[in-house]
Amino acid sequence: MDGGKDIDPVPARPDEGQGASRIGVDDWVASHEVRRDRGEGVLADIRTELERVPRHAFYAGFGVLAALMPLFTSNDYIVRVGFDTLLYMLLALGLNIVVGYAGLLDLGYVAFYGFGAYGYAMLASPKFGLHWDTLLIIPVVVVATATLGFLVALPSRRLLGDYLAIVTLFFGQLFVTVYQNGNRISFLGLTRHYDLTGGPNGIPDVDNFNLGGLHVGSVRAYYYVALIMFLLVLTCVYLVDLSRTGRAWKSLREDPLAAELMGIPVKRLKLVAFACGAGIAGLTGTLFAGLNTAVFSANFDVATLIIVYAILILGGAGSLGGIILGALVVNVSLEVLRTPGHATAVFYVVLAGTLVAVIRPWKRLAVLIVGTLAVGYAAHAIVASAWPRGIEGSASVGGWFGSFVNGWQLHPSNPRFIGNLAFVALVFAVLLLTLIQGWKRVLAMIPTLYLASFVWENRLVVEPSITRLILLGVILIVLMNARPQGLLGTSRVEIV
Amino acid sequence: MVMRVGLVALIGAMAVVAAGCGSGSKSGTTTAASGGGACSSTVSLGMLAPITGPAGSIGSDQLHWAQFFISNWNADSANSPKLKLVQGDTQLDPAKASTVAQSFASNKAIVGVIGPAGSDEVEATTPIFVKAGLATASGSATRVSLTAGKWKGYFFRDVPNDGVQGPTDADYMLSTLKVAKGDTVMVVDDQESYSTGLADIIGTELKGKGVTVDRESISQKATDFSSLVAKASGSTKVVFLPFQLASQAQLFAQQLQSQGKTAIVFGSDGTFDSSKFHANGSYISFFAPDVTTLAAAKDSVTAFNKAFPGGTSPFGAPNYVLAQAYAEAISSVCKAGNAPTRDNVRAELAKTNLSDTLLGTPLSFTANGDVKGAKFFIFKIENGKYVTQ
Amino acid sequence: MNWNLFVTELVAGITHGSVYALIALGFSMVYGILKLLNFAHGDIYMIGAFIGYGLITVFGGPAQMHVNVILLLTLMFLCAMLGGGLVGVMVERFAYRRLRNAPRIAPLITALGVSFFLENGAQLVLGAQFQSYDSFSWSNTPIALRHFTLPAHANVSYAQIIVVVGTVVLMIALTLFVQRTQTGKAMRATAFDREAAAMMGIDVDRVIVVTFFIGSALAGAAGVFNCLAYQQVWPYMGFQAGLFAFTAAVVGGIGNLPGAVLGGLLIGLAESFATGYLSSTFQQAIVFALLIAVMLVRPSGLLGRAAVQKV
Repeated sequence: MDGGKDIDPVPARPDEGQGASRIGVDDWVASHEVRRDRGEGVLADIRTELERVPRHAFYAGFGVLAALMPLFTSNDYIVRVGFDTLLYMLLALGLNIVVGYAGLLDLGYVAFYGFGAYGYAMLASPKFGLHWDTLLIIPVVVVATATLGFLVALPSRRLLGDYLAIVTLFFGQLFVTVYQNGNRISFLGLTRHYDLTGGPNGIPDVDNFNLGGLHVGSVRAYYYVALIMFLLVLTCVYLVDLSRTGRAWKSLREDPLAAELMGIPVKRLKLVAFACGAGIAGLTGTLFAGLNTAVFSANFDVATLIIVYAILILGGAGSLGGIILGALVVNVSLEVLRTPGHATAVFYVVLAGTLVAVIRPWKRLAVLIVGTLAVGYAAHAIVASAWPRGIEGSASVGGWFGSFVNGWQLHPSNPRFIGNLAFVALVFAVLLLTLIQGWKRVLAMIPTLYLASFVWENRLVVEPSITRLILLGVILIVLMNARPQGLLGTSRVEIV
Repeated sequence: MVMRVGLVALIGAMAVVAAGCGSGSKSGTTTAASGGGACSSTVSLGMLAPITGPAGSIGSDQLHWAQFFISNWNADSANSPKLKLVQGDTQLDPAKASTVAQSFASNKAIVGVIGPAGSDEVEATTPIFVKAGLATASGSATRVSLTAGKWKGYFFRDVPNDGVQGPTDADYMLSTLKVAKGDTVMVVDDQESYSTGLADIIGTELKGKGVTVDRESISQKATDFSSLVAKASGSTKVVFLPFQLASQAQLFAQQLQSQGKTAIVFGSDGTFDSSKFHANGSYISFFAPDVTTLAAAKDSVTAFNKAFPGGTSPFGAPNYVLAQAYAEAISSVCKAGNAPTRDNVRAELAKTNLSDTLLGTPLSFTANGDVKGAKFFIFKIENGKYVTQ
Repeated sequence: MNWNLFVTELVAGITHGSVYALIALGFSMVYGILKLLNFAHGDIYMIGAFIGYGLITVFGGPAQMHVNVILLLTLMFLCAMLGGGLVGVMVERFAYRRLRNAPRIAPLITALGVSFFLENGAQLVLGAQFQSYDSFSWSNTPIALRHFTLPAHANVSYAQIIVVVGTVVLMIALTLFVQRTQTGKAMRATAFDREAAAMMGIDVDRVIVVTFFIGSALAGAAGVFNCLAYQQVWPYMGFQAGLFAFTAAVVGGIGNLPGAVLGGLLIGLAESFATGYLSSTFQQAIVFALLIAVMLVRPSGLLGRAAVQKV
């Protein structure tokens, strides 16, 4: 008998990966297991306590904070960003009903958003000469959009999963094309051309909100209107979540066949889910049209859909708190990253923070920091003596940090080509890092960190508009890999 | 692992908040700076352009030209004050443009805005700028109604509007290309507002002279025109392409040729790019003489290509000229001994009078913000080169 | 009956449809095995197109082609396929592997993240301008200029022929691979039931890597084909193409390879005939309406099997 290994251990079942969702386990059991596996320690205790707090306290707290926010800033831009974030939250709420509760993949969702916006624009602009009161328009538009959602869902009842996704995608694209070319609609070339949607010129000069005599003109006023609407819709959705319909939707999502067997009207529920989601999107559309005072078809295309999905899934589909968090993470970071100064601050802080949080034991972290600084200063000194043009540029920020970076990092005078090469090299280096372990990884990290800083200073921060989208992509990849169920998601949401 | 992600997320959130708070104080300090001996400190200009997204080729090019001017201006020590460009990516979406416009309006350091690129975006953002007192000057928004007068003194553009280009091209077709009554002209737009506006105007002009106009439309994202080309009949003498992308015009011309059609391709100013659109026998209308033929501009063009390789687009260089106009305006304000503010920069910009610019034409604005003395030049492509007609 | 118009539209539709079919094939393969909607697939197509463009730049330049055109073409295809395949494998390894057992919607967002990264990374490194296969005297080569004349005076250019023939060749090669080789059999088994295949001793990881490689290589080839016929290369070209690929794959019956090809051809032909006979303005709307009708009549796609739900 050799003293070596015994028979090979039985390989793990494919569905027993780390943190993986278990097939056939419902989300109460899954969350119970998560709690049980959480372990000891201060953080675990904090989390357990936080979970005791009822959810509506969090939402109320959020509402209060959001209401107070405009009072602390005189900067209308921040209020505007807040408004945009609220719009995204509303859209994600509606999408949550369709995707998170009922488990239907709807890829044409923004068409309802556009329908609501165009609906408001047609009823409150010089286009057709109608100037209805907003308090009348909103219910009309919401009901119309919900009906449209119902109609779209009607023929799609038979479709499952990805087939439903594709049909809804078609509807979405169909709407965009109709809006885009709606200024020359004619019936098979037989009648004259009608101008319904203004075509690529959209519908401008839309009226501001006029709530029964109360004129809503400024960004702050719209922010508050949007906040009130969001809280109202949030309350409704929360209550529905606790109701029979909410539970029925969740059972539809978990196992549609079993749900049908238990007597749950599956087809009807799908229609209602679609209609509710569409209605919320229509409401959001009116808000959008009211503030922007113009609507164009470009606003309602796949790009917006992608952002809404990213927010929903990142936050955790099926979780209302996750929607709020996801919208804040995605939209606010996109806006903050527009400015080079802020972006640099975020970049270095997150980088340093991640290293501190993730690298253990402390010895390795110390080696890493000291090594990176040493390599940097050494490289700077070498390049300064050998090739002076390599340090002619300057750091992207000022202040003490800027002078540190100036002395530590290389700044070639024409960094474009080298920067591009370095970017590609950085991508490969980071990928390589994920493959090695232990001390080798720490040592390999030293040049990689320096390279990352080099690429950032010379190439990425110079083009903030492109960089913020690259960073968003990286954030999505990393976060979804680290936590597939989303930041605040329950452990299991599966698509029918 | 999960806790670590949470920690990192928390740190990230704090960083974002810290950065956001930092912005509040930053604009505060610059206000103070522009109060005192202001012409010594850097003055900021905002730029709105579709830097990423489907129109990224146009917007990033516009940004690069403006950046090119500013780096040249700053490099010359005789120029004062130094300038800084703050970019804002609109992705050709008027709603996003409004948000960025709001950020510019709230940023006290910015005294003037270059852009936005699309006419829709101009409609969405100019009210915000008017409220904030900012001048806005576009290098590519050509819708006629934008200078109807409601934004007098606030909105400027240094490219002529569709109301000039349409009739010029129509006249050329009728007189020189001998398009007569009963002939067909196919007008293809790319479903963007630049294109449809121009297509409508020229369609009306031609129809008024009895020419049959075959109005077609294809999405800007489309790459295959062969289906459309097949529709060109024997009596189609000219195909007018008010496209924004020169490479699409080239493709159309090639597919016309490969299908054996004899129609002449006529491109609008958006297709003016000899490196991309060079189908022999085609015509192009453009609002300036060919920059590559002007000796004075040659050095600039070479330097630009060195700094930003990859090619350029026709709507890029006008942004260089706009940056120049702003620089001169700010410089005049400083020479008069005042600190540059939004109001006085706006007033000076309206008085812009550059006798010679990179484009080869002088620049001054009418009362409503259009280019004075705008005219279009017609070019014919012979042996791959643009020849002025 | 205007035969010229008909035949020209037919040829245009088949050419365009072939490109869609190639991209849809790769998409469908990956879906069949992993049930993953790989939205980054279109960006691999873009990378393949850029690789081809890079080769033309290296061997051509503004003056003359230094190299025989046929040799250059072959080199372009091989490099684009290799490059596309490698990128696909890297994306799988680093972005998707950990999410194999996650709820299906998680890899969807990861794919979107990869797509953002690839598109904007390409803009950062390569610039946002439209590049053209044509800029380097390509149009003086026999490929782009010469054409056959079919009856009814319709012209078919060499480029179009290369696209269609190339697609057919690649499809046949793929079918032979999947049906006749050991690895192909393993792929089919894994697509049918991943757990059972693992239990039967198939190395599922390796099969997945091979699938991604082949699918992405096809996308890379499609990139070069597209640019031969339509010349434009730019960082965001993958987005639209990816959307159509997804459409074609699902309309044909997702996971079904002949269905993907059929779906692609259907979309290409519908686009052409809608432009030629109905309205070029509403071409997209007509195509989408048609596809909705197809899906409603056959809910599992044209060649898809109705999913049997096991209780």
